[in-house]
Amino acid sequence: MKKIFLLPILLLFIFTSCEKVVDIEVPSIEPKLIIDAVFEIYFDENPVRANTVVKLSKSADYFKEIIPAVTNATVFLTNLSDNSIINFSDTNADGNYKPTISFIPAENITYELTIIHENNTYKGTANRVKSSPLTSVTQGDKTLFSGKETELKVAFTDDKTEDNYYLYDFSNNLFLAIEDRFFNGSDYNFSFFYAEDDIKLPTTVNVKMSGITKEFFTYYRILISQSGQNAGGPFETVPSSLLGNMINITDESKFPLGYFHISETDSVSINLIEKN
Amino acid sequence: MLQPKKIILLLFLIPFVAFSQEKITLSGTVYDNSNNETLIGVSIFFPEINAGTSTNEYGFYSITIPKGNYKIQVSSLGFTTISETIILSVKTTKDFKLKEISESLDEIIIEADIEKINVKTPQMSVNKLTAATIKQIPVVLGEADIIKSLILLPGVTSAGEGASGFNVRGGAVDQNLILLDEAIVFNSSHLFGFFSVFNPDVIKDVRLYKGGIPARFGGRLSSVLDIYQKEGNSKDFNLTGGIGLVSSRLLAEGPIEKEKSSFLIGGRASYAHLFLPLFDNDNKAYFYDVNSKINYRFNDQNNLFLSTYFGKDIFGISDNFVNKYGNNVVNLRWNHLFSDKIFSNLSLIYSDYFYGLILDFVGFEWNSGITNFNLKYDFKHYINEKFKLSYGINNIYIKFNPGEIVPNREDSGIVADKLIDKYANEFATYIDAEHEINNKLTLQYGIRFSNFSRLGQDELNIYANNQPVIYNQQFKKYEAAVATGVENFKRSDIISSFYNFEPRFSLSYVLNDNESVKASYNRMAQYLHLLSNTSSPTPLDVWAPSGKYIKPQLLDQFAIGYFKTIKNGVYSLETEVFYKNILNRIDYINGANLIANNEIETVILNGQARAYGLEILFKKNEGDFKGWFAYTLSKSEQQTKGRNTSEPGINQGLWYNTPFDKTHDISINGSYELTKKWKFNANFLFQTGQPTNYPVGQYEIQGLNVPIFDDNRRNADRLPTYHRLDISATLTPRKNDNRKWQTEWVFGLYNLYGRMNAASINFRENRETFRNEAIQTSIFGLVPSVTYNFKF
Repeated sequence: MKKIFLLPILLLFIFTSCEKVVDIEVPSIEPKLIIDAVFEIYFDENPVRANTVVKLSKSADYFKEIIPAVTNATVFLTNLSDNSIINFSDTNADGNYKPTISFIPAENITYELTIIHENNTYKGTANRVKSSPLTSVTQGDKTLFSGKETELKVAFTDDKTEDNYYLYDFSNNLFLAIEDRFFNGSDYNFSFFYAEDDIKLPTTVNVKMSGITKEFFTYYRILISQSGQNAGGPFETVPSSLLGNMINITDESKFPLGYFHISETDSVSINLIEKN
Repeated sequence: MLQPKKIILLLFLIPFVAFSQEKITLSGTVYDNSNNETLIGVSIFFPEINAGTSTNEYGFYSITIPKGNYKIQVSSLGFTTISETIILSVKTTKDFKLKEISESLDEIIIEADIEKINVKTPQMSVNKLTAATIKQIPVVLGEADIIKSLILLPGVTSAGEGASGFNVRGGAVDQNLILLDEAIVFNSSHLFGFFSVFNPDVIKDVRLYKGGIPARFGGRLSSVLDIYQKEGNSKDFNLTGGIGLVSSRLLAEGPIEKEKSSFLIGGRASYAHLFLPLFDNDNKAYFYDVNSKINYRFNDQNNLFLSTYFGKDIFGISDNFVNKYGNNVVNLRWNHLFSDKIFSNLSLIYSDYFYGLILDFVGFEWNSGITNFNLKYDFKHYINEKFKLSYGINNIYIKFNPGEIVPNREDSGIVADKLIDKYANEFATYIDAEHEINNKLTLQYGIRFSNFSRLGQDELNIYANNQPVIYNQQFKKYEAAVATGVENFKRSDIISSFYNFEPRFSLSYVLNDNESVKASYNRMAQYLHLLSNTSSPTPLDVWAPSGKYIKPQLLDQFAIGYFKTIKNGVYSLETEVFYKNILNRIDYINGANLIANNEIETVILNGQARAYGLEILFKKNEGDFKGWFAYTLSKSEQQTKGRNTSEPGINQGLWYNTPFDKTHDISINGSYELTKKWKFNANFLFQTGQPTNYPVGQYEIQGLNVPIFDDNRRNADRLPTYHRLDISATLTPRKNDNRKWQTEWVFGLYNLYGRMNAASINFRENRETFRNEAIQTSIFGLVPSVTYNFKF
């Protein structure tokens, strides 16, 4: 929301300011374990399928070019309702751990993710978060600032019975996190705009909409703003550490970064064409 | 031991001790001869008895001295001093009309005793600017600007080019009380901070109080920017205007009834599309402001003023989004003389600030704002030449609209919603004395009592243990608590009430005719908070009142200074050191969302702030070459501790730099009058770079490259040093002589050597090379400008 509100201000900077790449010496810290465990269940597909990859890596100094993968960890998931265990393995030795059996997270079950790495044990829990299917994703002809953006019109029906939070993935690392506070239970539609340098037309983009928890919504909102998708200016909020929901139960001070989350996701591919 | 309150009471009683000689009161008003504008701060001085006074904000003066024949000097900077003999045997009313120096070049100019008086008055930490000075200072795009000029003075900074507002002595932007003809102005910036909302043509007098703030002011901690607008020429009809690159101005003023009543109407508008030169017609970006004023002088005892200010910014891109904001002020004032010793002013003021946004692509319209009604009744009582009292009351009723959202089209899907309106009443009463103990020692002391009541609203949240913010021990972070219920109130209910006694004290001790030392202490209370977690406020930030969950901000400030005039006032040196401590300065939990947040208390942490520093101002006041050198060495910090030992607070509970902390701040301003035709002006600024945060590492999640910021070193890094040089030249054509149509050209070069000063440094992944890079954003390189001013 903040980003949307600040758009006009950011816009002003585009026309008056000048940017250049500068050399900055940045401080550094001990590398941290990064846990990227965002599971997606494609609930509206037949058969239902799921993406359940746990990606492990280490943080690096800001200007280092390589972010090292973590390949020697033990990863497993515990179904806390019956204490059954699903093991994960890094078969390609690239830090991507996949379940050793075919697995789709069930509703109303709490799963605990355990990672053992360098004698530290990390744990976190998640439940499958419900979502709604996309009603339509179409290309529109409106533009935003430069007149060269591509409009994507998104529509869906929000569930009135609860507070919902959604994450949109518009491909090319373009994300948007929204809450239903101002459209609870309605047929909601909004437009997303690809900037000129976001995509080259014609192209096919994959649009994903996921139901997420309130905490993950807050987390992702900051993630998006800190990942540099926003241009800066004096109106930037003070950056802060972004702690997820995984904890180090061996040594609190060596806390990991990243998140364990399970969402229901709907995915639509759309061909974007060049207009006039 | 005596309590401070008792001492104050005692001091008030001293002047009433009987005196023997018969005393006579001389009172009146001082005007500018050319247009009948009343003049503020004119010195009325009796050299033989070393007694004097100065005119107040409405040009009025009163002094009571023993019967006799005296020499009297009436002087003000930029005006020819009137020096005459006056016989005081009965109560006398006498008005003076001062001529501008330029108006009376052939006459003998008596060097005024202004500086001597300044050395003597206990008021310290005040900077004064005249409209003429402001207009000569070179500024970006040639737009004469009060706030950009203030920044050249010691102790005043801003968060950078294009940042709104200003910071005084390490205080936040929301801690400045900005008064336009006594009315509170909430937002001082146009176009997000590039320009200020005050039209320089309409300004008569600008004063910035940084410390030793008199008891008549209150409600904000750091400073008072007291701006008075002109009343309008009551002699002749006049047109003043200017054409610049960004905006044009026009001001019409004239008599309604000669010498009795006058009007003034001034407008300023920027050109559309200024910042959008690349695009076609359906984009808009402009601002305007309109000032108007009517006054009527019924008789010597009664004067009525009606003034208004309307200002607005509109910024839109097609119909996709439109962004509007602005201030409105309507103000009715009545000056009344109860006697030749008691001056009073009654003000009825309405002011508001509005912010609106239409975002068509997500289908909503957003409106928020603040409205206030203010009643002020101020008295100035000129008891005798050694003792003056100011007293009065002030009541402000404030309504806060934190925001409402409405669908902007039929198919939008947005459900209209409104954040809960908040209401408050702020009452204050004060008494303040200016007391000359002897020829060397003068005191100013007073006390302000303020009371703030948060009035009934719909639905006030209740939280478990009264804690709207909880610390999650497991994930080591602060989180918003979930309300356990709501309380409902009637509008007439008082939800919470605060009161504060705010003592103010300053003294000056004259060492000799040219030197003095001054000291001051002031306590201030501020009941409103501007919610902003960006390094500089944005127009959409909302104000929040103190209440059940947010406590009022409290300040204690001490300052001590040494003042010296050299060569009879040709040069002056002002040095001050200050220390201030602020309680209840709020900060925000990580990732706090302040916009459209109905439960703002759930993201706020309470802390404190402090600032201290040294200010030096060396000025050359007279001659062809004038100017000043200002240096500030200061520190501004904030601390937010955990509420108990198991919580870390912010930055581990240690002190951290505020976003506007600048260690060194040097500004040099010089103006040189080469001939009557050509005048030159230059500024040089050198400042420590602003605090910022550099990432300590990076990682990848969901394909996004994310920088890691360390919470334990908040604002610990710095942007590169800021410096620039600006110059301007003013051409006044010779043909101006003896004609009514007066013109002037101002040519400017901002940032002469084109330094790309960093407004920010951001860290991101390059989308083509996928390498991380640091991007420095600069706002203005070398900017030339030309402005044409005229007067008719």
